[in-house]
Order: sequence, then structure tokens, then C-alpha cells
Amino acid sequence: MPSDVTTVSVSGNPDEYEDEHVHTVYDEIAGHFSSTRYKPWPIIAQFISSLPAGWVGLDSGTGNGKYLPLPLDRPGQLWTIGLDRSINLLRIAQTVGQKHREVVLGNVLDVPWRRGAFDYAISIATIHHLSTHERRKTAVKSLLQSISPDYGRALIYVWAMEQDSLSKRIIPGGQQTGETQVVTDKDKRGVDVFVPWVLKEPSSNRSNIPARHTSHQGTSPLTIMHESSAKAFNRFYHMFAAGELEQLVIEAAEDMNIQLGPKSTDSSINAGVSGIAVVQSGWERSNYYIELQRWRI
Amino acid sequence: MVRLITHNLLACHVRGCNSNNFPLQFQDVQIGLREAEFNPDFLRGFLPKIEWNALVDSARQLGDTSLPAEQPVMIDDDFLKTLHHVLLEIHVEEGAMVCPNCKHVYPISNGIPNMLLADHEIG
Ligand SMILES: [Zn+2]
Repeated sequence: MPSDVTTVSVSGNPDEYEDEHVHTVYDEIAGHFSSTRYKPWPIIAQFISSLPAGWVGLDSGTGNGKYLPLPLDRPGQLWTIGLDRSINLLRIAQTVGQKHREVVLGNVLDVPWRRGAFDYAISIATIHHLSTHERRKTAVKSLLQSISPDYGRALIYVWAMEQDSLSKRIIPGGQQTGETQVVTDKDKRGVDVFVPWVLKEPSSNRSNIPARHTSHQGTSPLTIMHESSAKAFNRFYHMFAAGELEQLVIEAAEDMNIQLGPKSTDSSINAGVSGIAVVQSGWERSNYYIELQRWRI
Repeated sequence: MVRLITHNLLACHVRGCNSNNFPLQFQDVQIGLREAEFNPDFLRGFLPKIEWNALVDSARQLGDTSLPAEQPVMIDDDFLKTLHHVLLEIHVEEGAMVCPNCKHVYPISNGIPNMLLADHEIG
């Protein structure tokens, strides 16, 4: 059985934990990681394509900035500003698509912006790197506080326990094997895991590594090569259960004291009432997503 | 890069620093000018959302006095080209941004502003 993904239990100070198991890892693997991440997922591309000219957005957890050049069919009609905690990924994002982009070193838990200054915000494959439920909720709140309370739109994407059958990964407790995991309404909690990233060192370094005895019991020459030229980094992920992302949004809306649901057409409602509508939510290619729009009367 | 388009959105987020925390003041900056593609549709759409006084003041801190103190009523191409230059062609490469209220310093290095705070400063 592939021992690719392993469950972990988070302990200690979450800031330090994420520094060690997320930020430091991405700073180390930035170049290699970026070379494997270039195709935007369809729902994200569609979302950005639907936005009008003149809108300014936040990509919270931009990574290598692959969404910053969108929409490709009308470049320059929108500006997406990328925020990330990894300086090495930002250096790549800075010139993604051979143009200068706007990027900011920051934490997705914070709101280093004028409140409501953005027209839209996306958070793609980011919130699942936060190590507690409370912090994931804070990240959703920070995203919602960054967009216009009158019309701001947001799209959030996180990794799902329910994995695509095409995915190579085996998830402990996940549903890929066909065994149904019972998730009750009260317990929409996913699973905390480490996902290794194997970083191969440049081949020029390999010649410096002394040859090993290849008849070592049960070890093929290939494995030895792998061991001596590669380094594995464990990245922390919280894999989301069905309904868990929606639950985060419900709790974030409660904390912000705003309604959850479509904009009310009831004329007796007082001016100033504000809310958040779920435009769509679902599962796509091993991820859960939710699209939101803020409204105010 | 820190261009004025981004600077017009950034605000101090130190705990308890909720008023007079925008715009951040530039300090000891090195700037570079780089041509960018002119996109009038973007500018027309973005214009109503700009904090105008902040943009005019910040451009002056960077040595650019081309913007009128008041947003013009008639939006013509000349004005949009001036706005385009101020928002998108002036890059702050090095230096810092200082909060007008709590004086927190956000450094800018290699064109990337550092908006991270220490634990005790987080709001
Ligand atoms: Zn301040």
C-alpha cells in the first residue's frame, strides 16, 4: 500500500506548527513546486472570467501566482493582487506570465487592507494548510472582510477527503476505497495529514555522492539513488469532510453578525442589514469549493 | 512590486490600530519606472473605488505631481493615461511604509511589501 499520506495529530503552538510544516516547506520547494503548478482549475477560471472590467481582487495564498494573469482572454481588465506567506513563491509570482504582478508578503489570517476594499477574493488550496478549525474560520472571515460588503464575491477551494478515482493518493479514512465514512452534521471534521513533497537535488550534485553497496538486503539500486539524491518534506494538510467548508462559512457569518442566505426581498427589513449568499458549492477534482457573494440592504 | 494600485488598498492592521491607519506613508523609497499596457476599461471601472486623496498624496511622496487634487468630472484619455502611469508604472522597489497612526513600519524589499506582524501585534 502506498504510504504517501499519513495522518498526524496537531500539537503545540499553531503558528510555529504551520511555520515548520507549511511555510518553511514551501520556501524550500518553491521552484520545484511551481514547475508542477501551472494549469488553472476550470471553476476558478470561469469565476474570474465572469467578473467585470475594473474589478480588483485578492488572491489569498497565491503561491506561485498562477491565477494572477487571469482572465487570459482579456488581460489587464482585472487586477488580482497575490498574498502569500512564502517569500520564495512570491518571487516566482512576481513575474508570472512574463508580466509584473502585484504581490504582498502576509498571513491569510490577517486583513492588511482597507476593509471591504476588494471587489472579489479567491482562496485556492490554502485554508487546508491551517492547523486548527478556529484558524480556518478566521481565514474565511478575513477573506470576507477584505471584499465589498455590498457586492463582493469570493471563491474558496480546499482539498477534500473524497478523492478523485484518478488521484494517486490514498487517504486514511477517505472514501476512495468505496467504504463510506459516516459524517454526521455535528461532526463535519476532516482529517489532519502530512503529504510528502519529494525534492530531487540537481543531478550535478549526484556525482559527489559516494556509491553505495548495491547488494544491501532488499534495497534496489534505484531506491538507493532515490535516498541519496532526494529529500522529502512533509506538508501539513487538513483534508475537508463533506459539508465542512459550508460549516466554516456558517460560523464565519455568525461571528461577523451577518445573515447567511440570499439577499432578502422583504421590504420590511431595516436598511443596513447585511448578509452573504452561497452562489454555488460542490466538489471538483478532489477539492471542495464554495462561491459566495456579500450583500447589504 | 508595490505600485500605487496596491498601496491604495493596504492599511495598517496592528491590533487596536483602527483609525487613521491609511494611507501608509512611504519612507526612504527607491523607485523604478516600467511601462505597462494601457487598459482604459480597467481604469474606468476602478476609478470610482480609488481613495483619491490618498492616491494624490502618495504619488507626491514618490515625486509625481501629475494628478489633479480633485477627480475630474470629464474622464478623457489624457486623464486616463496620467492615472495609468501613476497607478501602474511607478514601482517602489525598496524602502518602507509607515502607519500614520501607530508608526508601525512595513518594509519593502525587492518590490515585495512585508505585511507580517509579530504575535503580539496581531489584531
Ligand atoms: Zn497602525
